Amino acid sequence: MNFTITRQNLHNGLAAVSASIPSKTTLPVLSNILFEAKEDAVWMSGTDLDVAVRVKVPADVKELGRLTAPGKKLQEITRELPEQPVEVATRGEQIELKCGRSNFKLNGLPADEFPSLAEVDFSEGWTVTGKDVNGLIHHTTFAVSTEESRPILNGVLWELREGSMRMVATNGHRLARMGVPAESGGAPSADFIVPPGALQHVQRLFKDDDTIEVARSGNHLGFRADSTEVYTRLIEGTYPNYDQVIPRDNDKVATIDKKALESAVRRMAVVASDQTHRIRLKFEPGRVHLNVLTPDLGEGHDELEIGYEGEELEIGFNANYLLEVLRYMPTDEVDVAFKAPERAVTIEPSGDNDIDYLCLVMPLRLLD
Amino acid sequence: MMAISNPTRADVILPESAPVKRILLVDCDAFFVQVARLEDPEGAGKAPLLIVGGSPTGRGVVTSASYEARAYGVRSAMPTAHALRLCPDATVVGVPRSAVSARSQSVKEALMDLSPVVQAASVDEFYLDLTGTERLFQNESFAETAWRIRETVLERTKVSVSLGGGTRRVIAKLATNFAKPAGVHIVPAGEEEAFLRGLDLADLPGIGPSLAAALEKRGLVRVEDAYAVQIEWLQRWFGERRGAWLYRRIRGVDSSEVDPRERRKSISSERTFFADIDDDEELERRLMRQAGSVARTMRQQSFRAKTVTVKLRDHDFKTRQHSRTVPEPIESDHAIYGVAKTLLAELRRKRRVPARLLGVGLTGLVASSATSQLGLFAEPVAGETERERTVSRTVDELRNRFGREAVMPGRLVEDDHAPRVPKGDAK
Repeated sequence: MNFTITRQNLHNGLAAVSASIPSKTTLPVLSNILFEAKEDAVWMSGTDLDVAVRVKVPADVKELGRLTAPGKKLQEITRELPEQPVEVATRGEQIELKCGRSNFKLNGLPADEFPSLAEVDFSEGWTVTGKDVNGLIHHTTFAVSTEESRPILNGVLWELREGSMRMVATNGHRLARMGVPAESGGAPSADFIVPPGALQHVQRLFKDDDTIEVARSGNHLGFRADSTEVYTRLIEGTYPNYDQVIPRDNDKVATIDKKALESAVRRMAVVASDQTHRIRLKFEPGRVHLNVLTPDLGEGHDELEIGYEGEELEIGFNANYLLEVLRYMPTDEVDVAFKAPERAVTIEPSGDNDIDYLCLVMPLRLLD
Repeated sequence: MMAISNPTRADVILPESAPVKRILLVDCDAFFVQVARLEDPEGAGKAPLLIVGGSPTGRGVVTSASYEARAYGVRSAMPTAHALRLCPDATVVGVPRSAVSARSQSVKEALMDLSPVVQAASVDEFYLDLTGTERLFQNESFAETAWRIRETVLERTKVSVSLGGGTRRVIAKLATNFAKPAGVHIVPAGEEEAFLRGLDLADLPGIGPSLAAALEKRGLVRVEDAYAVQIEWLQRWFGERRGAWLYRRIRGVDSSEVDPRERRKSISSERTFFADIDDDEELERRLMRQAGSVARTMRQQSFRAKTVTVKLRDHDFKTRQHSRTVPEPIESDHAIYGVAKTLLAELRRKRRVPARLLGVGLTGLVASSATSQLGLFAEPVAGETERERTVSRTVDELRNRFGREAVMPGRLVEDDHAPRVPKGDAK
């Protein structure tokens, strides 16, 4: 293998791939990046066995070949190199970098030891825009569960339908759901449960104006645009029926300035218990009172003027769940809808827009 | 100090000076040994060389040893086998757990009649704050008050205690070392520095063997030696926070109050096995039993836990532990054992060798009433269902009424009773 590449291109390729390399591993080859010099370009790949990232970088290839070399060290070296062409070549099982007068040889491992990436046939798949997918990922991934007890909720549910697609995530206490219109191009409907780590790579590597091909092969899902590919293992199982738990009869709706509510909740959270983060919101016509009372610590009170006509109602919340949801709301005002103190509360963007975004927060039971 | 921070109150109550604190630490002398003897006057009661904890075959660790046995070098937390090599004639008895808690409770009740503020620091240590009782006990000195408390406790509970006294908790704690056994040692107000200077650094609470060794490497063994060291050096050696803490500790600075309501921070149980266990299933059964026991103790105090810790000591004394914090506090046997089981599996996966000790701890305790995050789905994602809570509480009630063995998980029944099916029938 022998190729010449600009420092910038080498750096970009390494940066894209290194993020998929595990920081600690018992399998040494996983700390390495696979280089594959082809006719017109060099492919670089990295994987932690769950997710794999593969990128194509322009280079002047003199001799075809494959080799793996330590990703982190290559990245550190490339960061320090001058802006000059870099000649990369294999010397037995070593990789050699020459740039100006700098010269490095690093121990590599044979390319055969590198795990083979999932074989995905993109001809039978879906086509989505980077903007749509990234928007869905951004607004839902935060809500996934980090608990191992129900692995199915450690993933984001991605529903692809005729004319639309949706992502949903929940940890059983709060939920985020977003949908966008999408052309399926005739591909059949499908549901995937995707690990959030893979979606973060997608969000990081694909730009809004990219056209992304998505295809499934067995238990793997592949994403591909011009020069970038992401593969991930899917989470197996049936996602719980989330639609059933979304209330349809929340008849009391408060319209609240998002920033003002966020600030007030954050203030209350200071005095809330470290363990429960419990605060109380008391709604009354035109106003919401925020209260916190933590034994052994103290109490706090705040109030906001809001658009609300319904009857008086007090609801307990984990302040963190409210703050998370508010952070991702795309509009200046939000509609908070509820029915009773112990029923699911929904939060949606307020006003005249066609944003299909809904977050749900389960209250804390108030015993006193 | 008080006059500055709270002038109004100090002016009104004490026009001349801030009250001098009068704090006592009541420490039951070799408590487990005393209880063992009180419970079994004919057996343990007649053995001068007595070791409580572990088994006569030498398994387990010493919980407490009689003063006579201590003369042979026997110390608590020492493997019983080692203790028996030092003191071969000693009698070894198991820990009389329920008697210990009953006696501890009666000592506490006796103390509550004698002092306005009582805080149980452990099963055999109680802090008393007698500040402001000078006038009440004007006919006797602080030391005389302490002696009177000692006699009253002995008379009422038959438990012999030692008392250390001083103006701060840490001083009272250190003074008990001079009071034991069966005595009283008071460090008078104003003499704290002289008292501390006479001690070794390793005597101070919070200075463990490794910190003591690090100090010794720098030529500091006595508190006296360390007095001359500037705070900057201590911080450079041990980091900002720890250095500052050490500086204050050396000077006996301790602003902590005797707080009768001080909340428990953890509940745990540790057991050393009679013989090392290498079987995963057997370890799980032990874990189930211990997890159930700590969970029950916690429920009795109306707490739920956010963090579960499992500790494993391997046959070669290598000790390892794993913890997990759950998003919602849990209290049921089912949920706590569930987390503990995963932790045990992780520990065993890393190193699968015979284990000699297993421990389960619960921390991040919150009042049960403070927590009830409602869930979206009938089946909880993390934590437990209302049903699981109810099951555990019902089992607690049954056990309170009919005894501990009245209800137990099927998995644990086998180890306590012989198989029900006669052997001849099994085919």
